[in-house]
Amino acid sequence: MARYGMVLDYKNCINCKACEVACKEENGVLLGADAHRIWVGVDEIKGEYPLLDIVSSTFMPSQCQHCDNAPCEEVCPTHATYYDDNGVVRVDIDKCILCSYCMNACPYDARYVDSRTMTVDKCNFCSDTRLSNGEVTTACQATCPTKVRIFGDLDDPDSEISEILRTREHFTLKPHLGTKPKLFYVM
Amino acid sequence: MNLKNIIPIKEGFTLKSLFEYEKTPLNNFVAVTTISLVLLFFMGVITYLMHGHHAYNVTREHPWGLLIGMYVFFVVSSTGLCIISSFGHVFNIKEFKIIGKRAIAGAIIAILSGFAVIAFEIGHPVTMMIYNVLSPGLTSAIWWMGTLYGLYLTLIIFEFILLQKNDHKWGWYFSLGGLVIGVIAHSNLGSVFGFLIARPISNGVFYPVYFILSAMITGSYLIFLLYGFRYKMNFPPEVTAMLTKLAKVLGLLLAILIFFEAWKFLTAIYGGKPEKADVALHILGGANFWIGEFLLGMLIPFIIVIYSKGKAIHTLVWASITGMVGIFFMRYDLVHDTQLFPMQTLKIREYQLAPTWIEYFPSFAEIAISIGAIGIAIAMYYVASKAFELDHR
Ligand code: SF4
Ligand code: SF4
Ligand code: SF4
Repeated sequence: MARYGMVLDYKNCINCKACEVACKEENGVLLGADAHRIWVGVDEIKGEYPLLDIVSSTFMPSQCQHCDNAPCEEVCPTHATYYDDNGVVRVDIDKCILCSYCMNACPYDARYVDSRTMTVDKCNFCSDTRLSNGEVTTACQATCPTKVRIFGDLDDPDSEISEILRTREHFTLKPHLGTKPKLFYVM
Repeated sequence: MNLKNIIPIKEGFTLKSLFEYEKTPLNNFVAVTTISLVLLFFMGVITYLMHGHHAYNVTREHPWGLLIGMYVFFVVSSTGLCIISSFGHVFNIKEFKIIGKRAIAGAIIAILSGFAVIAFEIGHPVTMMIYNVLSPGLTSAIWWMGTLYGLYLTLIIFEFILLQKNDHKWGWYFSLGGLVIGVIAHSNLGSVFGFLIARPISNGVFYPVYFILSAMITGSYLIFLLYGFRYKMNFPPEVTAMLTKLAKVLGLLLAILIFFEAWKFLTAIYGGKPEKADVALHILGGANFWIGEFLLGMLIPFIIVIYSKGKAIHTLVWASITGMVGIFFMRYDLVHDTQLFPMQTLKIREYQLAPTWIEYFPSFAEIAISIGAIGIAIAMYYVASKAFELDHR
């Protein structure tokens, strides 16, 4: 079985938000659920003219980090949140009791309530719509015009993602929490 | 099998007797308030049944609201009463032997009221009962909370029955069991917050310990209120002796709590750790903490105990009302403060929104269910005091 992760070459992001649109279309996220499943954060230019800090302006795309040591999974009372065989952190809506504990426990603000099922949902690496059909891309990745997103199997030494992580400097978010995210930002 | 064989019910208890009470102005006032609160509870429940979770003001950023705070308020009250009653019943401290029945009845009622509130907060309570058993999440503090409180409730119900039957041998075992499981369950409830590594202001050892301490304080306030109302301030000597002793215990507990809180804030602020120091300073800038928690919940009762050397038990009955209001603020703030910091990882300034503290104000349904549940608790207590002998002999 695979252990899926994603690399974000975030400096290539042009904030077109095509990934947000693709994800919402792919996974049926309701209108108005901005920044719920995937988002592009904007770091505006700091400083005052003419001393502008040009490098401070970045776009930071993000989503669920698919933590290897996920607090959301740990706190779930009914195992509604679980790791699937591909290491993807998923929610079984039949078991979710909407206690919202996971929403409070996730350090990355990645979870939201789907108001149709009234259960908690989040990015699932397109497991339902793509991975389960044998596809090996995600909607947000496939649509990205500047190829910010590289998705693949971290356990396969020959995969593109493994190659990038071997050769390029990268960081994860809030690493001090010990959640071991599988979203990597390359510099 | 007759219910009376299981648990002795007072002679002459009928449904009709529920409507007979001494028509004093105070009693009338309590009756009208209780009925209004019960109606309010059902209005809240109906609003919830019509609109589901949309009837609440909880959001993605602030998923826990007033109902969680109120649930904690009730279960703290329950554990508190159980601990204080154990002074007499488990630890054989003479003065406290008289409170067993009333305190345990109160503990049962408080936790049932808490369950009545949480039932409308958990989105799918039936699913919860099924999957708590079929796929238990043993690493989840919420799973342990449900399981331990269920066990605790069973034990204190047995304890109550045995107390009613004057079976002190078995009663002792059950009260010890209820006390131990109650303290574990309650401390575990603190860990629901303490385990949140995502929320530095709540993460750590503070809440699991503080929950037990504040439960004992809540239990003391409630004993003052229950006995103040029962004897209309004309206490017989053994009750006076008990309340005077309890006042001293309360003074000590409050001193420890004030000490705890001071260090909690000092360690949170010292060093300026992000998401902790800023949140702590924000909390200290608000009236909820200073007036709600500190003045009403700690300072006023503390000063009365200190100045009267624990003898002003009549004043302390009144101060217990402010004390309980303070305790309510402690529970509400515990939930709200945990979620104050905007958890917008990399979403800062996203969509042109500057990061702000997360705002929350409960909706009508939330307020109605929460405040109404106090009426449910008083109504249950009234029925219990009619049906069972809660006084000491
Ligand atoms: S980012 Fe949040 S939701 Fe995703 S796996 Fe980690 S803790 Fe869970
Ligand atoms: S809201 Fe659902 S997925 Fe989240 S912890 Fe509760 S039961 Fe698990
Ligand atoms: S991987 Fe799929 S579900 Fe996750 S953000 Fe991308 S499109 Fe959405």
